[in-house]
Amino acid sequence: MPRLTIDGREIEAPAGQTVMEAAKEAGIFIPYFCWHPELSVPGNCRICVVGVEDKGGEWVDIACNMPVAEGMVVYTNSEKVRERRKATLQFITLNHPVDCGICDKAGECTLQDYHYEYNGERSVSVDSKVHATKHYDLSARIVLDNERCIQCTRCVRFTREVSMSFGLGMQNRADHSLVRAAEDGSFATDAYSDNVIDICPVGALLSRSFLHKSRVWYLEPTASVCPGCARGCAVNLWHRRPEWRLRAPDMRAQNEGIQRVTPLENPAVNGPWICNKGRDLAKVFGRARAEVSMLKGRPADLHGALAQARSLLGSAGKPVAVVSSWGSNEELAAFKAALGSRFTTFVKADHEPQAGEVLEDAILIRADKNPNTAGARALFGDAAPAIPKDADLVLVWGEGFDFRLIPPEAKIVYLNAWLQPENGHADVFIPVSIQTERDGHYTNFAGVTSAFSKCFAKPVGVADAEAVFPALAATAGGGQ
Amino acid sequence: MPGRQLIMDFEVTPTSHTLEAYRARGGYATLEKALKSMQPADVTKEITASGLLGHGGAAFPVGRKWSVMKPGDGQPHYLCCNADEGEPGTFKDRWILEHAPHLLVESMLIASYALGVRNAFVYIRGEFDLPWRRIQGAVDEAYAAGLLGAKALGTDFVLDIVVYRGAGSYVCGEASGLITSIEGRKPYPRNRPPRLTVKGLYQRPTVINNVETLANVTGIIRMGAEEFRKVGTAKSPGTQLVSISGHIAKPGVYEVEYGYPWVKFLDEDCGGMLNGAALKCVIPGGISTKVLTRAEIETLTLSHESVNPAGSGLGSGGMIAIAEGTCMVRLLQVLLRFYHHESCGQCTPCREGMGWMHRIIDRIVDGKGVPEDIDRLYAISHANDGTTICGMGDAAGYATVGILNKYRDEFEHFITNKRSRFDGRLECLA
Amino acid sequence: MKHLIPEFEKMKQRYPEGFESSLVLPCLQRIQEDRGYVAEEDIVGVMEYLHVPRIQVEEVLSYYTMLRRKPVGRFHLQACRNIACSMRGSEGILGHLVAKLGIQPGETTPDGRFTLSVVECLGSCGTAPVVMVNEAYHENMDAPKLDKLIEELR
Repeated sequence: MPRLTIDGREIEAPAGQTVMEAAKEAGIFIPYFCWHPELSVPGNCRICVVGVEDKGGEWVDIACNMPVAEGMVVYTNSEKVRERRKATLQFITLNHPVDCGICDKAGECTLQDYHYEYNGERSVSVDSKVHATKHYDLSARIVLDNERCIQCTRCVRFTREVSMSFGLGMQNRADHSLVRAAEDGSFATDAYSDNVIDICPVGALLSRSFLHKSRVWYLEPTASVCPGCARGCAVNLWHRRPEWRLRAPDMRAQNEGIQRVTPLENPAVNGPWICNKGRDLAKVFGRARAEVSMLKGRPADLHGALAQARSLLGSAGKPVAVVSSWGSNEELAAFKAALGSRFTTFVKADHEPQAGEVLEDAILIRADKNPNTAGARALFGDAAPAIPKDADLVLVWGEGFDFRLIPPEAKIVYLNAWLQPENGHADVFIPVSIQTERDGHYTNFAGVTSAFSKCFAKPVGVADAEAVFPALAATAGGGQ
Repeated sequence: MPGRQLIMDFEVTPTSHTLEAYRARGGYATLEKALKSMQPADVTKEITASGLLGHGGAAFPVGRKWSVMKPGDGQPHYLCCNADEGEPGTFKDRWILEHAPHLLVESMLIASYALGVRNAFVYIRGEFDLPWRRIQGAVDEAYAAGLLGAKALGTDFVLDIVVYRGAGSYVCGEASGLITSIEGRKPYPRNRPPRLTVKGLYQRPTVINNVETLANVTGIIRMGAEEFRKVGTAKSPGTQLVSISGHIAKPGVYEVEYGYPWVKFLDEDCGGMLNGAALKCVIPGGISTKVLTRAEIETLTLSHESVNPAGSGLGSGGMIAIAEGTCMVRLLQVLLRFYHHESCGQCTPCREGMGWMHRIIDRIVDGKGVPEDIDRLYAISHANDGTTICGMGDAAGYATVGILNKYRDEFEHFITNKRSRFDGRLECLA
Repeated sequence: MKHLIPEFEKMKQRYPEGFESSLVLPCLQRIQEDRGYVAEEDIVGVMEYLHVPRIQVEEVLSYYTMLRRKPVGRFHLQACRNIACSMRGSEGILGHLVAKLGIQPGETTPDGRFTLSVVECLGSCGTAPVVMVNEAYHENMDAPKLDKLIEELR
């Protein structure tokens, strides 16, 4: 293993590594735009230059393409390096529009950060900037601003090396080079397209759904797990910081909704990527909620609903349960502990693949569109729900169940978060909380368990399923 | 004749480029010698001993480049002949393609034998029409004669040559741009490492040599390295094809023996300046070499060891003679416009820098220059020196710095007075 | 481009195995020679024939100056504007062409006969100024020669 010195620190690095990789592993920071640990090395931005000692002098070259060598002495902050970096930034900002005031990337923009850190001066050019297309529809989901683009080609390489859609390219040449989508629409159908928004170091590629919604420093991320399929990608759900709540009336969506979703890097599950479905979780979690308990469709209070459910369970001879594959491990365990012995239990798929969505691929997407099938099956087996004709009580937990499968004479206890017509058909309906309103864990198809955290308060009148199950069991089989 | 002739050593006629004519001059006898009495390693050794330097502009020792390719490494090896000839002022490879295409074919056969190459390419710029028809014609003749595409001359050696046409891009003359173009993609040059002799065309070991460089191979193997070294000088063995243009009376391609006095070449062989004009300065070898004034070339010979210490280089052999009365500001404008047009756009300093320099010089010529512009041109040139993926950024910088160093006063005059000292003239005053 | 496939198949034979991608450029050049430009159906044809991503063909078409996706006039006049030609009068040549044809560089005459372009160094500096007409180099040009040339082409 070659031993080299970076900024006076001796480091051992595997042969074949680059100085960039070795420095990163050693926790030494070298700035970069075009380099990305998951993508090929284009070496075009030139900002990652480092100095290498040589015969009393120093030569300077890019670190991302520099193989480590035994005895190498590297400087990441010599005067030559600083001079080079500053010149590089002068070039990058030469035609870059000073859009910060209206650019969504402000606050999390690599160019902003590096400009302040390594340049800090106004432009030295007296010539006008090169203009290009702004607000360009790269796809229905992504807005492109070619003036802000620094031609790092991360987005182009992503479509050729990760998503394999080959949806993006760089047209023309010189300083009129333009990122463009392939004309056959392969970028529009790229199920991973939105990842280019994250990896774009500047505000050239922006999410249309998040466009001008909020400054990023008014938001905070909560770690969660995407429930879109059994991969269970780690995500960050961004929502408004409490101290920055908007005080105008009717601001509930802005104050209490998910503003955007970004990947949370998890090497064991999804690396740094998620698919587009995960980006749209605000729509999933923002659907109309059931907030009122009901008895045969008539509003009731939670306490009364629980009591009625207990009573129905007490007199049931053959109770069957169909549990939710969106239930957390904690909720499923609570069901097993409280009611597992009383019920014949099946696990159902709350969600089935929709027309037009990718079924399964070799990247992240799984055909099972539910986050915790594995966790549920581990407790209750993998038999498909088959309600026996003589079942006299059916407890359904979670959406997506076909109520026609329930024997007409059976009583129905239904736990659901969403405002749906079936809610009124149940003998007892209890509204329950969703993933964003509690802590919990899911286990994905490969057996990896991931945690999600609470970011919102649950609506008044809504119960936690984890508390409902013991409450139902309180006098099950016995009198009270 | 500016010295001994090794390549332009026959009379050009309407048929002198044909296989028959080439054979009559002794063509393909050297191939026979190489295939039948030399090992591949012997050929490389002979080329190394000859001291042959590349004729594309970088003057890299050819034997050193060749010896990186290891025989028997289990990989396909490729040879590419760089016939892109896009460096402004340069048109000497064209002479070889038009009049001595079989010399190139024979040389490529010998080189491929040395390098363990089974498939070779001639990358020719798309604009060349007659040169293309001539080299393709020579390749076709060689196929028909069983020299290509079959076991050559009764030996086991087989070579295929594909003539690959470019489509309008200066960076295809850059070795890594060239092979990326042959891969059917946009010709973006590549970072090194890896060297192209390790990972080149389709990531296989590849040697790229200029047309003239390869054209020398046959002669060296025929006469031997020792004989070859008797021509030229110790540090610059052999000859260089010089294409001269600009304000010269007899523009054209001349074969110059290294060491030949520069002024003698201009005044005698090239007929002196157009209409007796006075020489202001010379671009020695393509626009990416620094200009040298009349006074500076007085004592120089056309050799690397003479020109390099003078602060320039023989480069691609594209010499341009510039007469007194020419506006160097407008001249630089033409060059910067060219570099801007040809930048591939990959790396930051060149992509932004070329456009920037072009806009500055346009503004100066437009009468709107400011004093800071001169230092800004220096700074951009400096920021492109050794910082880019390929040599084009450096080249633009050298061209700019070369002209600014010698003719700063013209720029200052233009900025201060909002007009050229020489009426913006590019044509010959005389 | 389907009728060109037999030619392309012959071309393929000359290339080593695994070089399908290399054929993008020669195929596009042959298509352009045949049709006058590269059409949408040609892009699809090339990508399907060579099994390359469409974006590769699009990038190649957008980058190279000699490839075009729109037709040009019957005679494409390309005047070099680089240094040696400028030093021997190319600016006057260009001005003469603009005046004579009544079009600017980048434009085509209304009758579709002439398209005028400016190009960079053509490698013919010794016979400057040079104007390329379709594939042919017209060297040592001056105004009288240009006039004669245009009359012949009209």
